[in-house]
Amino acid sequence: MALLEDLHRLDEEARRRLAAAGTVDEVDTVERDAVGPSSPVAEARRSLRRVPDEERRRLGRVINEIADGLSAAIAGRRRELAAAEEAARLQAERIDITLPGRAPPLGSLHIVMQVWEEITDIFVALGYTVADGPEAETAFYHFDALNTPETHPSRFESDTLYVDHGDDPIGVLLRAQTSPVQVRYMEQHDPPVYVVSPGRVFRRDTTDATHTPVFHQMEGLAVDRDITFADLKGTLGHFAREFFGPDERVRFLPHFFPFTEPSAEMLVSCFSCGGAGCRTCANTGWIELLGCGVVDPNVFEAVGYDPTEVTGFAFGVGIDRLAMIRHNVPELRFFFDPDLRLLEQYR
Amino acid sequence: MKVPLRWLRQFVDLPGDDPSEHAEALSNLGLEVEGMESIEASFSGVVVARVLEIRRHPEADKLGLVRLDTGSGEQEVVCGAWNFEAGDLVPLATVGAVLDGGLEVGEREIRGITSAGMICSEAELGLGDDASGILVLEEDDFEVGDDLAASLPYPDVVYDLSITPNRADAMSVYGVARDLAAFYRVPLAPQQGDVVETGEPTTAKVVVEDPEGSPRFTAREIRNVGIGPSPLWMRLMLRDAGMRPISNVVDVTNYVTLEYGQPIHAYDMDLLDKETLVVRRARAGESLTTLDGVRRTLHPDDLIISGPKDALGLAGVMGGESSEVGERTTRILLEVAHFFAPDVLLTGWRHGLRSEAQARNERGVDPELPPLVSARAAQMMADLAGGEVAPGFIDVYPNPIVPVQVSLPTGEAKRLLGIELEPAEIIDLLTRLGFAVEGDGPFEVAVPTCRPDVTRPADLVEELARLHGYDKIPSRLPRGPGEGLPAWERRRRLVRRTMTGAGFYEIMSYSFQGRSDVEALGVPEADPRRRMVAVRNPLSEEQGFMRSSLLPSVLGALRVNLARGRSGVAVFEVGRVFFPSDDEVPHQPQRLSFAAVGRRPGARWEREELKRDARDAVGVWATLAAALGVEYTLEQAEEAPFNPGRCGVVSVDGSYIGAVGELHPGVAAAFGIEGRVALGDFDLGPLLEERTPWTFRTPSPLPPVVFDLAFELEESVAAAALTVAIRQAAGPDLEQLEIFDLFNGPPLEEGRKSIAVRLTFRHAERTLTDEQLVPVRKAIVERVAADLGGRLRGG
Repeated sequence: MALLEDLHRLDEEARRRLAAAGTVDEVDTVERDAVGPSSPVAEARRSLRRVPDEERRRLGRVINEIADGLSAAIAGRRRELAAAEEAARLQAERIDITLPGRAPPLGSLHIVMQVWEEITDIFVALGYTVADGPEAETAFYHFDALNTPETHPSRFESDTLYVDHGDDPIGVLLRAQTSPVQVRYMEQHDPPVYVVSPGRVFRRDTTDATHTPVFHQMEGLAVDRDITFADLKGTLGHFAREFFGPDERVRFLPHFFPFTEPSAEMLVSCFSCGGAGCRTCANTGWIELLGCGVVDPNVFEAVGYDPTEVTGFAFGVGIDRLAMIRHNVPELRFFFDPDLRLLEQYR
Repeated sequence: MKVPLRWLRQFVDLPGDDPSEHAEALSNLGLEVEGMESIEASFSGVVVARVLEIRRHPEADKLGLVRLDTGSGEQEVVCGAWNFEAGDLVPLATVGAVLDGGLEVGEREIRGITSAGMICSEAELGLGDDASGILVLEEDDFEVGDDLAASLPYPDVVYDLSITPNRADAMSVYGVARDLAAFYRVPLAPQQGDVVETGEPTTAKVVVEDPEGSPRFTAREIRNVGIGPSPLWMRLMLRDAGMRPISNVVDVTNYVTLEYGQPIHAYDMDLLDKETLVVRRARAGESLTTLDGVRRTLHPDDLIISGPKDALGLAGVMGGESSEVGERTTRILLEVAHFFAPDVLLTGWRHGLRSEAQARNERGVDPELPPLVSARAAQMMADLAGGEVAPGFIDVYPNPIVPVQVSLPTGEAKRLLGIELEPAEIIDLLTRLGFAVEGDGPFEVAVPTCRPDVTRPADLVEELARLHGYDKIPSRLPRGPGEGLPAWERRRRLVRRTMTGAGFYEIMSYSFQGRSDVEALGVPEADPRRRMVAVRNPLSEEQGFMRSSLLPSVLGALRVNLARGRSGVAVFEVGRVFFPSDDEVPHQPQRLSFAAVGRRPGARWEREELKRDARDAVGVWATLAAALGVEYTLEQAEEAPFNPGRCGVVSVDGSYIGAVGELHPGVAAAFGIEGRVALGDFDLGPLLEERTPWTFRTPSPLPPVVFDLAFELEESVAAAALTVAIRQAAGPDLEQLEIFDLFNGPPLEEGRKSIAVRLTFRHAERTLTDEQLVPVRKAIVERVAADLGGRLRGG
């Protein structure tokens, strides 16, 4: 059969051309020539009409086998070449992925503000709320309501910054603690009171390694029917472990503040040496962290609470100091330096 | 306050040998140990020797040959000092001895005579500052042949205590010993106040004109004293306690002050006018030269000691030069008085003084101490300076101070401390601290006069806690009602985090500013930022006012970082500013200010605009507003300190809240900044108010109709004005409006511009058709033409 021989030859030739094809376009040409409408295969199919029935079935099967085989080979080769072409195209658009990306790099929150938020959240998780108040405060809320004697040295102009406001030259001052916020809060809320007041405070100090005229403090206050020194110890111990780590040990020593009685100072085990003694803790193994105490009855009387009905505890902790201790910042003044080499560390 | 351990041991038999254990005890008692110093003799190989004979060196007039009995033989050394005589005991450093500072003593030939060793001054032994002569040792305290180092009270430990202002009683060795005795449950040695009086009664007179300032004033005369050095043991004790030895009489006053906490002043009685002391307030214009050599003008509120006419000293603070004890003094008048503590505090403060006497008197000393301390000091002077105490002790105490009685309710300790203390325990604890207790609940407590700080039950509870031990109180963790973070704090955090997300760094700066900061901003004369709240006692001129703007701070941060070589900087600050007000305190709103300058990060090799400008500020504000869920209007405006052509003001809920844009180049220059500064300055308060929750809208599944319109407009017409006009005309079906093209130049005429917008319309329930939107499109074109003079291009 000449027709079959022609078709087999055609099949061989088409497969040879497919193997040699380098592009999808060349495969398209092979397809057109081999199985397209004017190809010998199509021609052979058309010529089947003139072939007798029994012969036609056999021939048709052979033609279809050849045609299907070619089509499959063409499709396979096309896939191969398409994949290769795509790979080449992707290779061509390769970039240096290590170059900086297009979104602006993240800035940073100031480290003191981060600590501010972190310690606030420790108390919020204990059911406390947050209160805020004026930075330029009246002497009444700052001293009188907090049981500070008329002659207390903290009222002196050598210690406290006063601002021009109204007629009394020592009537309005820049607060040295955020406790007046608590007084204002107690005036407006009945017990129970669980509140922290982080904020900016001032003192009349020239800038040096450990002093700046502006710094930050968080005062806390809990007033309820059954608050005792034990609650103070438990709460502040919890705070120290939350902030410094679960192994942190605390110690309370007697101290004095006009607005608390009994008063205490809380020390934490030196995180730097673990309590063995080092330069950070002056070889004592302990670091003085904060002042605290049981609220003085005179403070309750000043805000109209009955000191025989309620008791409470209060504390004040330096936010900048916490940041310095935990991050090993050697000097307080760095916090007020806008050098990006510092700010970039605060991420 | 420095307290040598050996001094404490004079009053209390401390258990154990470990000084750090006592330091623990002191800290637990509230007498904070700030430091602990070990003291040892800093020399070795020095023996006590007796001077047998002093001859002149045959070859050198100024040198002597000193023959000594060393206890184990005789020895001769060469010496250049002549302050001692035969029979004296002196320290002999033998060959091989090591002196203070490490010098090793060897055999030396001096002008032909070999000196095997040397006799030493106190400076050479590290026992004092005096290098002018040989240290002469007291006969009673030393023996010939003794090793000197072993005869000194060393090694010893000195505690540096920080005494809180309420503890007047603990400002003394005896007071500290009293707390330790209570702590260790050991006896406290009694105070020593024995005195032998001889001769004629004193002729001194005391007039207390101000018994409120000085409730108790005592005086006592000591005659025939001989001023000289005090013995070595006292000099060493004073030195170890942080005081410089001066002379026997002055040293006694200091020693007894440290011992009992009651300040003492010694007058040269021969220098007192009519031998009289008067206690009174100063007179206007009066002046006084105090012992520190400073001539002081007195304040009429100052409590002073004077003679019949002239001021002699500031009561309880510092004596005066005119009656100072000197080398030729032979008659002493000893003042031991109780002063009203606040008077001492204020007098000292007015004169900028901090003396040892003041540190005690301003806390309030025990009014029962003066007679005892006067006797103790007088007897010591008699013993150490060879004087006699005259009879006639003067004690002016018209209104004796009675001990305070405090009633301590039974359950008060438990109510405040959270621990159960048995009545017997309470009585035991208080009694050990010197309180007299009656009853077993409630407890009637008599407070000793040395504890003026204890007046209320809470004060007694502190005493109980302190002695019982803070560490024995258990821990408990109470929880509050849990209101959580207030909205203002949540939103303030959101503001600050959004700013950092936009690439800005948060800075913190002082709340002060100088006049020059506001000048540099160049705001008009009437601008409220020029009406600043002044600091009355500022630390410096640059910190003379409270800040009225955060802009000087953020602009300063740009300058600093540009100067340090940065190509781009973006910072923000959140904080309060201050303005005068008629309220009880100044108006102090919170603000947010941000500034950025220079290259945007990562933009250098791409065809983006490299440097920041006004539109960066607008973009940051839009991001912030989106984060806060705040709708706002932005209008072109001219506002200092912005570039007048590149400034917009922002309103929220119809109220002005701030401005964005670019800094005026003149102001940038004044701040030392080169380049365009993207700037935003906002009142934070309104942004922190909680917004009402938004309501959900189901997106329509129906297809939109989208078409573009390009309008030709005058350059001066704001894009925002165009979008407002379009929105008003477009009606409720306008889903989205996007500006997608902006240009000027040919073919447009000079002063004209083109803005192209893409409008997306969609209806919730039915499919819109192009035909339905024909009238809407017409309405938009007419509205833009009518309101803004805009012409549809290609239309």
